[in-house]
Amino acid sequence: MMEFSRRRLLQTGGLVGTALVTGGLAGTAFSRIASAADDPLYAAAKKEGALTLYWGSYEQQTMEAIRDAFKAKYPGIEVNLLRQASQTVYTRLRMELQSGVHECDSLGTTNMLHYTELKKIGALAPFEPVDGVHIPDAFRTLDPDKMFHVGAISLTSINFAPGKVPSPPQSWQALLEDQWQGKITTGSPAFSGDVANWVVAIRRKYGDDFLRAFGKQKPKVGQSNVDTVTDILAGERVVGSGAPFSYTLTQKAAGNPIDVVAPSDDAILNLGVTGILAKAPHPNAARLFTNFLYSTEVSMILQKNYWPTLRKDVPWAEGRALDQLKWYRNTGDDLGPEVAEGIAKWKELVR
Amino acid sequence: MGVISTDSPDSAAAATARPVMARVPLARTVVFGAVALLLFLLVVLPFGWVLNNSFHDDLTGAWTLGNYARIFQSADLLEPLFNSLLLAVATAVIAVGIGVPLAWLVSRTDLPFRRTIRVLTLTAFVTPSFIGATGWILLAAPNSGWLNALWRSLAGAEAGPLLNIYSMTGAIFICGIYTVPYSFTMVSSALDEMAVELEDAAATLGSGTLRTMLSITIPLVTPAVIASFILSFIQGLTLFGVPAFLLTPTGIPVVTTKLAEFYQLFPPEIYMAAAYCMPLLLVTAMLFWMRRRILGRKQFVTISGKSRAGRRIALGAARWPAFGAALLLPLVSVFLPYAALLLVSLTRAWGQGLSWENLSLHWYWWALFGNSETHTAIVNSLLFSTLAATMCVMLGTVVAYIVERRMVFGASLFGAVATVPIIIPGIVMSVGFFAAYTRAPLNLYGTPLLLVAAFAATFLPIAYAHGGSILKGIGPELERAARSLGAGEGRTFLSITIPLMGGGLLSGWFLVFIPIIRELSVAVFLITPKTNVMTTLIYNAKDGGNYEAVCAMSVLLLLITLALVAAAGPLTRLTTVRRTSRKSGRKTAPAEGVLPT
Repeated sequence: MMEFSRRRLLQTGGLVGTALVTGGLAGTAFSRIASAADDPLYAAAKKEGALTLYWGSYEQQTMEAIRDAFKAKYPGIEVNLLRQASQTVYTRLRMELQSGVHECDSLGTTNMLHYTELKKIGALAPFEPVDGVHIPDAFRTLDPDKMFHVGAISLTSINFAPGKVPSPPQSWQALLEDQWQGKITTGSPAFSGDVANWVVAIRRKYGDDFLRAFGKQKPKVGQSNVDTVTDILAGERVVGSGAPFSYTLTQKAAGNPIDVVAPSDDAILNLGVTGILAKAPHPNAARLFTNFLYSTEVSMILQKNYWPTLRKDVPWAEGRALDQLKWYRNTGDDLGPEVAEGIAKWKELVR
Repeated sequence: MGVISTDSPDSAAAATARPVMARVPLARTVVFGAVALLLFLLVVLPFGWVLNNSFHDDLTGAWTLGNYARIFQSADLLEPLFNSLLLAVATAVIAVGIGVPLAWLVSRTDLPFRRTIRVLTLTAFVTPSFIGATGWILLAAPNSGWLNALWRSLAGAEAGPLLNIYSMTGAIFICGIYTVPYSFTMVSSALDEMAVELEDAAATLGSGTLRTMLSITIPLVTPAVIASFILSFIQGLTLFGVPAFLLTPTGIPVVTTKLAEFYQLFPPEIYMAAAYCMPLLLVTAMLFWMRRRILGRKQFVTISGKSRAGRRIALGAARWPAFGAALLLPLVSVFLPYAALLLVSLTRAWGQGLSWENLSLHWYWWALFGNSETHTAIVNSLLFSTLAATMCVMLGTVVAYIVERRMVFGASLFGAVATVPIIIPGIVMSVGFFAAYTRAPLNLYGTPLLLVAAFAATFLPIAYAHGGSILKGIGPELERAARSLGAGEGRTFLSITIPLMGGGLLSGWFLVFIPIIRELSVAVFLITPKTNVMTTLIYNAKDGGNYEAVCAMSVLLLLITLALVAAAGPLTRLTTVRRTSRKSGRKTAPAEGVLPT
């Protein structure tokens, strides 16, 4: 009897707690412990005692915040975070699999092709996170077999120096106007997945003519699209193409003179993806973490760091939301060759 | 027992060596066996995997020559090779052209503030070249660079940029100035240990200072000059950060940026990348062959148990102009870029420019206390670098000794093996280490030992080249004397050769320690969350565009390394004291080694 009532009490506390969190009041310690302690998945994960994340989505700071929130909510699980660039993380994982090394529990990178390849060789384990119901509808089911899920939403847009550019280009097409000649900075599709993704999208929309005209604008081509922000802040160029939406907003919030435009002919959306390894040494901890990604806590962290949130019910920073934007996402099974072709065309027409 | 000798190469030495083997077979076998085993584990095994990879297809994994065929059939792959060669030759020319005269000024003349110049040159060395490039982007980007802004304020707003760092010239300049420390350190340690009789003779015969320098001093340190030329060349070939930052915007591809593209592709072309490194190996092998032709059987022995360096050449009226010239390198490689980096690191948001409100120590606080990973990373960086540098110098020196004194048959093979790792760009070597040590019986994956080994292996060529160029200047007479008095090979090496190498070993240690602490790419597939190092964090911050943090962490890395160099000051003085006492007539040097541990 005692036990029953205690559990009831805890459950009620948990519900109240969840309601408070959804209501925008960050959960109290009580509600967090109560809802976590009841979770059989947590119990199983705690028995495993550790979790290894190989993550390339989100920059170091946001990823560490997510890790710390997980540790706070689920004490007793040691979290090892390997945060490197997505392609590096993936290359390493591939080599580990070839050598029969199984260290990684949860993989999170910015390229869906990684997951289709891993799925093909049977390296992923299916899992359906309970809290996945809160994911924006458009991305709720990336894989019918539940082998991988959305891990991050990233937007590519136009950024600019507000002091120097009174009326920034409002669309990708507007970047081709004469007034922007010698003023544009961008990343290289050969180095940056986001820029490669942008090149694919822009070729689908406007064909190679766009790239040809873009090349005539003499853009400065850096490596990563993060370099656009650097160039704008330094004053080397004033407008950035294929620019990172969230990161530009972070820099703006830090007090830097920079702002972002969501192009009227669509911000290009790229999904970060996450999956659990079939031979994960800590499968339950990995499941617990995957589910945690869709918690209110994580979306609040994302909001704070100017990332699009992973839940419908948590707005983005500054009250933005996915449905307020015009966006386009490259879909299709044959993206690999299309990316390679895009890079080749870029080298021919732009650089 | 003429066992140790420089002038009887090849089989003769091996033949005379045999009786010794008979006398102490066990110790000798153990030492040579250990060296051979270490070289095998550190170099042959991982490199073997790289070589093996280069013959496999990335998609199917099948055996193929296709990767090599692709290199020579595609202009897209040939162009970067030529660009890299140009960059490497120019880098080496600048490094030697500046480094050698600078070394002479600091080591052999009464230049004012010699020690300061030495420390400043080391400071340039501590700077990862991508950080230097970042500093110079702030200074000399065509539109926004501060130097160009200054120029426009003088020449008028319509004037074109004075400097454009985004060019081949810009990249050569940056690679060159950050490679000077190699040639400077190698040549100055050779000069420090050099005897003065020949210079005296030249002076007696009426030769002026400049002529003596050009016709006596510099030629005597030819081995060090050539070794540093080759190292600088390899640097120019294998640097990634500088071309990635400075040449990508102009669309000039080089080998390392092309390699990065192979890794960026989906699926990654790891095996193709391995094959793409092999032309570098070929070019470098040719350089070593040329070195052999140039040095031939000439002798460069200047330490022979008689008088030693100590007296300095008086520059006279040229003293201060020479000091001004010597300051140029620190000016462009340290003062200017670090001023830029320091300013950025001290702002809350660097885009706001300089103002009191924007001034903040926030990023230093963040780097030191705000980030839980930094502590482990700093400790790891220092620990791994110390261990790896020590291991590297010990092995490199022993290998150099075995090669220089031709102690076993096939000694030069040891030398060749010890030279390979530096030529293969780090990211490719990283794959080799991964492949070699993730399987039984030597599964070291995830351990700090693997990282230490990879670091030690990567910079073994520097330790070996440095050790070799010092040994070339030490005559075998004292060693022979010890041998004839009954000392074994080991004892002779430890109590005669090592002390004679003296401060050169210490400078050699820093010559490896510093690049290790700033190395990133060889660790890229070997670090784990528990063995993370400082450079990964810096790179992640750069990757995430957090420039204030990158600058703050770079300044910290610089300060930590400088503190270490300063702490080593007393050690250096110790060796100087011993040298003076040796000069005063002692025939044998004290037995204790000066290897910093």
